[in-house]
Amino acid sequence: MPKKTRAKSVRTARKPAGGRASKVARSPGGNLNNVRLARVPKGKRPQYFSDPAIDKLLWTTITLAQELAVTRDRLDTMEQLLTDKRVLKSGAVDSYVAPPAVEGAREAARMAYVARVMRAVEAELEETTRADNPRSQDDVIAAVSQ
Amino acid sequence: MSHFNRHAMLPDLDHDEKARQSFVKSLRGHLASRVMPGNYQVYASRVEPQFKAETGRAPADQHEVRKIMEKDSYYQYWSAMQRRSQELLWESVIEPTERQIDSLIERSKALSKKAVKGRKKGTLRLDPALKVPRYHTAADIHLQPGGYHTDFTADDVTAGVIYDNGIYIYLNGALGPENNTMGDLLVGFFKETFAGRKPARILDMGCAIGNSTLQWARAFPHSEVHAIDVGAPVLRYAHARAEALGVPAHFSQQNAEKTDFPDASFDLVISHIMLHETSKTAIVNIMRECHRVLKPGGIMLHLEIPRGKTPMEKFMFNWESYNNNETFAQYMTDLDLKAVAVKGGFDPATTEAVEYAPRMTQEQKNYSEEFFWKIVVGRR
Repeated sequence: MPKKTRAKSVRTARKPAGGRASKVARSPGGNLNNVRLARVPKGKRPQYFSDPAIDKLLWTTITLAQELAVTRDRLDTMEQLLTDKRVLKSGAVDSYVAPPAVEGAREAARMAYVARVMRAVEAELEETTRADNPRSQDDVIAAVSQ
Repeated sequence: MSHFNRHAMLPDLDHDEKARQSFVKSLRGHLASRVMPGNYQVYASRVEPQFKAETGRAPADQHEVRKIMEKDSYYQYWSAMQRRSQELLWESVIEPTERQIDSLIERSKALSKKAVKGRKKGTLRLDPALKVPRYHTAADIHLQPGGYHTDFTADDVTAGVIYDNGIYIYLNGALGPENNTMGDLLVGFFKETFAGRKPARILDMGCAIGNSTLQWARAFPHSEVHAIDVGAPVLRYAHARAEALGVPAHFSQQNAEKTDFPDASFDLVISHIMLHETSKTAIVNIMRECHRVLKPGGIMLHLEIPRGKTPMEKFMFNWESYNNNETFAQYMTDLDLKAVAVKGGFDPATTEAVEYAPRMTQEQKNYSEEFFWKIVVGRR
């Protein structure tokens, strides 16, 4: 991202001219009555792509991207805190080289992770090639109803 | 990005809530500066040429542009992302607000009651019998769930909390540390155009959270500043926010089409991007009401957003109408605002709709090149 110039209004921000601001103590908050604010705006949501499923996929993808950004920020906060507290030296994470045992375990975990993510393809193949796989769910229902 | 002034009426944000809002800001900044301009490029390089090849002419208006652009994959992707970014924006503010709703309401009550030595306090007057107009209830404007007007609980202020935080993220802080830029801009225009005038009584219509209202109260500390809106929760918030910032203003729940202020009771009537959230009949009623409440010699100023000049620009500006529930903006595009003011009783000889281009920061330019505002100026 290009470095953003600070808005001029920051430098020229006025001091309130109407008198002293009121200070009110902040209470810890809470929502004792479980008030539920609306999440969905009233109106008709447009369909953007030829298949509405693509709209839903994009929705989910962007939300996941947001959560990934949150996680990265959180990890960075942890690194910064650990560096501040002198638990880690600055740059320790980037210069870390995993010993063979750790790298081996990581590789196995990574493979399992990829397999879980890719299971949709694997599942389709397994279903297609299994010799006694039922042709339809109706066949299964008929079989167990006998 | 400018630093948001976290006054007493804003919710606290934990680490992940902040990170979620930061993501929305970055996403929207990227969409606005790097992806959105590409729509003009694909229009010029493939969409318009194909239309010309098929029909032998250029698209006649924004509606024809829309028909062909909605089939373009680049536009579809940007548009879907832009919509999702707007939804995410509200979601990222709603969650921390909901989590702290009790203390936000408590704080607003305390600020309203608490006397402060050495300064006058503002007031709040609500009208539970006021009918919120259909142009606000038909669809939630710019997708804020519940709009400006929905009370989710007694003494609710959340619509205001959400709006204040949301519009800050909406323009990535370009509205200033207290969402003050539009108020400053119109104050600046007033001081340039009517040098030396000191209006004794000012009325701000469609004030929402009073972010622009307070800039008038600060610019003219000896004036009595009134502000109206149809939404109760935004007004409760506006009042508490004004008290938290130490600027007195008088908020009341009223429809700008018909207020309870006496004839000839204001020196200046203003609004900040309100007109495009009204309706065809309301906009004339509002002009008539401005004319009625102004004293002889009084001034009316309405700040509005431009809606493009070419068919492609008009189509792009009106993305907001079709995708962000700024529904009346579509009709406003080709509306002669001077004619509307004249219909409301203003003298054609002294009424004008001017284009005003203030100097912009780079951050503001990221959102629109050669941005100018429209200002309707009426004299009683």
